[in-house]
Amino acid sequence: MQNPGSSTQSESTQSPVTLREPQSRGSVPLSLGRIYQVIGRSGVRGQILSLLIIVLLFALGTGGRYLAVGNIRTIIALASIPAIIAIGVHQVVVLGGLDLSVEGVIAICAVSVGLLTRNSMTQADIGLWIIPVVMIIGGCAGLVNGVLHTKLRIPSLMTTLGINWVFFGLAILISRGQSIRILDPRFQAVVSSRVWGFPTVALFALGVLAIVMLFQSRTRYGRYLYAVGGDELLAKQGGVKTDRVKILVFVMAGVIYGIAALLLVARLNSSAARIGDNLLFPAMTAVAVGGVALTGGIGGAKNALFGALIVSALNNGLVMMRVNPYTQYAVNGIVLICAVALTIDRKKLGFIK
Amino acid sequence: MSTEAVVELTGVTKTFPGVVALNKVDFCVRYNEILGLVGENGAGKSTLMKILIGLYRPDAGQIRIRGQLTTLKDPESAGRNGIGMVFQEGCMIPNLTVCENLFLSHEDGFMRHGLLQHKMIRSAAREVLARVGVTFDPDTVVQTLTPGEQQMVEIARLLWLSSLYEIANPVLILDEPTTVLLEDETKRLFEILQEIKQHASVIFISHRLEEIVENTDRIVVFKDGEYVTQLDPRQAEITEIEKLMVGKELTLDHFWVSEQGEPETDQPEVLGVNGLHLKGKFEPISFSIRRGEIVSLVGLVGSGKEEICECLTGTVKATSGRVAVAGKELRLSSPGDAVDNGIGHIPKERRSAGLALDMSVMDNINLLVLRTLKKRGFIRRRLEKANALKWVTEARIKTPSIHTKSAHLSGGNQQKTIISKWLSSSVKVLILDHPTRGVDVGAKSEIYGRIRKLASSGMSLLIMCDTLEEDIGLCDRMIILKDGRVVRQVQCPPDQKPTPLDLIDAIV
Repeated sequence: MQNPGSSTQSESTQSPVTLREPQSRGSVPLSLGRIYQVIGRSGVRGQILSLLIIVLLFALGTGGRYLAVGNIRTIIALASIPAIIAIGVHQVVVLGGLDLSVEGVIAICAVSVGLLTRNSMTQADIGLWIIPVVMIIGGCAGLVNGVLHTKLRIPSLMTTLGINWVFFGLAILISRGQSIRILDPRFQAVVSSRVWGFPTVALFALGVLAIVMLFQSRTRYGRYLYAVGGDELLAKQGGVKTDRVKILVFVMAGVIYGIAALLLVARLNSSAARIGDNLLFPAMTAVAVGGVALTGGIGGAKNALFGALIVSALNNGLVMMRVNPYTQYAVNGIVLICAVALTIDRKKLGFIK
Repeated sequence: MSTEAVVELTGVTKTFPGVVALNKVDFCVRYNEILGLVGENGAGKSTLMKILIGLYRPDAGQIRIRGQLTTLKDPESAGRNGIGMVFQEGCMIPNLTVCENLFLSHEDGFMRHGLLQHKMIRSAAREVLARVGVTFDPDTVVQTLTPGEQQMVEIARLLWLSSLYEIANPVLILDEPTTVLLEDETKRLFEILQEIKQHASVIFISHRLEEIVENTDRIVVFKDGEYVTQLDPRQAEITEIEKLMVGKELTLDHFWVSEQGEPETDQPEVLGVNGLHLKGKFEPISFSIRRGEIVSLVGLVGSGKEEICECLTGTVKATSGRVAVAGKELRLSSPGDAVDNGIGHIPKERRSAGLALDMSVMDNINLLVLRTLKKRGFIRRRLEKANALKWVTEARIKTPSIHTKSAHLSGGNQQKTIISKWLSSSVKVLILDHPTRGVDVGAKSEIYGRIRKLASSGMSLLIMCDTLEEDIGLCDRMIILKDGRVVRQVQCPPDQKPTPLDLIDAIV
């Protein structure tokens, strides 16, 4: 009694009991094969490959100038803040949603930093307390997103688009539309420093990466994130409190945008509501290029990081090759669309709107 | 085998608008048994199972679990009572690994210092999987498993959950598990079920009666929402079960047979299907329908009949073959081409697929003929109204006005609106997918009459019905499918209608 309609046809020789030996993890001597094995399991194989291709092409195109230590340092430094933002955005994308509130949340956080540390506009100075405070402000903004999205059942695309403008407007209001100079020198000193020749800001990105990776692999809610992204209804039936997962993810995203805002302000040593302008697009491109599927359920923090590196390497190369800046915009747009086309799971989509 | 009941239902009734899905049903599951549950589509099996797992609440009646009067308000409370179900379509989250699916939302036992301990999870997963006799790597992503392997993981999860809740004799419900399995996988499943039976009860739903007779301890037959009888599989004959499932014959007048014409061979062929084939779903099939003929596709879920219709309407692209209407060949993957050439389709989920519910009755009726209601390039309100009014009167659609939202009509009137939509577009071939599903008895007869009139007006009809009686009563000719192949073609002229019993062995 076999059913030709079943999808098992192609595997007709397989019985339900298949012995799948877990891959041996014995001590293989360090070799190219071993490295390849590690990369292969990491889920970012394609990204590493694209990065190598981009680096190779630009290295040839610029006669090696692209590979100079100074330039690599620049690429890494420029990738760091977009990478942090992308790590915040990508979890929302894994849920199957979108977060368009990046710029607004960063604006409100940045303006808060400007007004609460020693600055040119107010008398306030809370010193290093600004670090937890800006994370809390970002987290609250994320909470608003999450609660509106889950409790009012508004698609995340629209919730976050609206919230983006709410916070952006608020940021302009409280900063009176002006830019605020930071008078506390410690922040810029840290951000522009290097540790063993490595830009400090990149260490912040690695720190965020480590924490989010730990969340995703070693906590319950981290795993539920993938359950909800894979099939929300089944996750709910399986006993997962899906609304809580979603709210938590939005709050985490907000906290991460807060960190990014602090780093942005520190780098410029001044703050303004417009500081977040044009940060959403590179973050979304990084998420897509990194291999996080827009249909949800696939891709981790590593993917966001590598996506940001690829975008940064690409843009730096284009600048070095003296490509017209407007052509660069177009290249980025094409890269975004190609990346989405490659990663999206069309089985999950009935109609595209 | 103990005769005591783990689960006992008494007088359970469940009605949906227009339909009594379960009528005062008494039903029990005993300790350590495999219970085979059989009945035609629509006999009430699924409703009963959904009540047992807390998806539906009965309108009346009592549920006793291990002697305790219980209300099952959601799947979670059913789980806490040790009742779980493996659905036909599966309920594993595809992008997660086996162990993540196994322990989803119950990871508390695997936490140390607030972090999940992957080693503990893996070894627990191996142990749980071993209980159902499988040994694959618990880190495998579920979507790479075969449906058979996925089923085993689901069974393992249900057993593990009941041990977590400390329930001694859980009840596992398997809904047609063997339809997605190959022969040796099926054999393996039954071996495992025999082992599980030592400490659990299994409700096994299947249309394959041989399986039921060979592997179960007791058979319960349902028909039209009622408990018919129980049988001992060691003594039961398959033909006897078939007879109980189908029940007695209906009076054929119900189907307006008196208006069914004699079979005419001089009528031209309208729909010609030649070697139509969809890989993995149905084998190449050829048939034709004459003008004014009603042809019925008969077969179980998975026989390929649904897919044949989807290929005809162009919503699914057939692997190969030709479809022609009145001699003109269609492009295979174009629903627009199908409509333009006169193939109409009334889907079974009319609420989602057949009718734009937010649009008015008028807009729905005119949807396909808007281009004929234009003057100088613009759609004329007056022509729209005239066409809508004509069909509302013609089809006797009960609606306050033609501007009423379709969502506010009753099921029967919605169905009439859809039929009108296709009639006004002058289709040549109409595919009716379960035309009377969710329609009450009175409206049913009216729809049968309507179908007869369509045929006598020269339209060719391809139908798939809820029950075999309906198919037999309505059609001129019947094509019986099984596992994607045509097994028999049966003529059903008005004076020589076959009985369901003549056909059931070809179908099952």
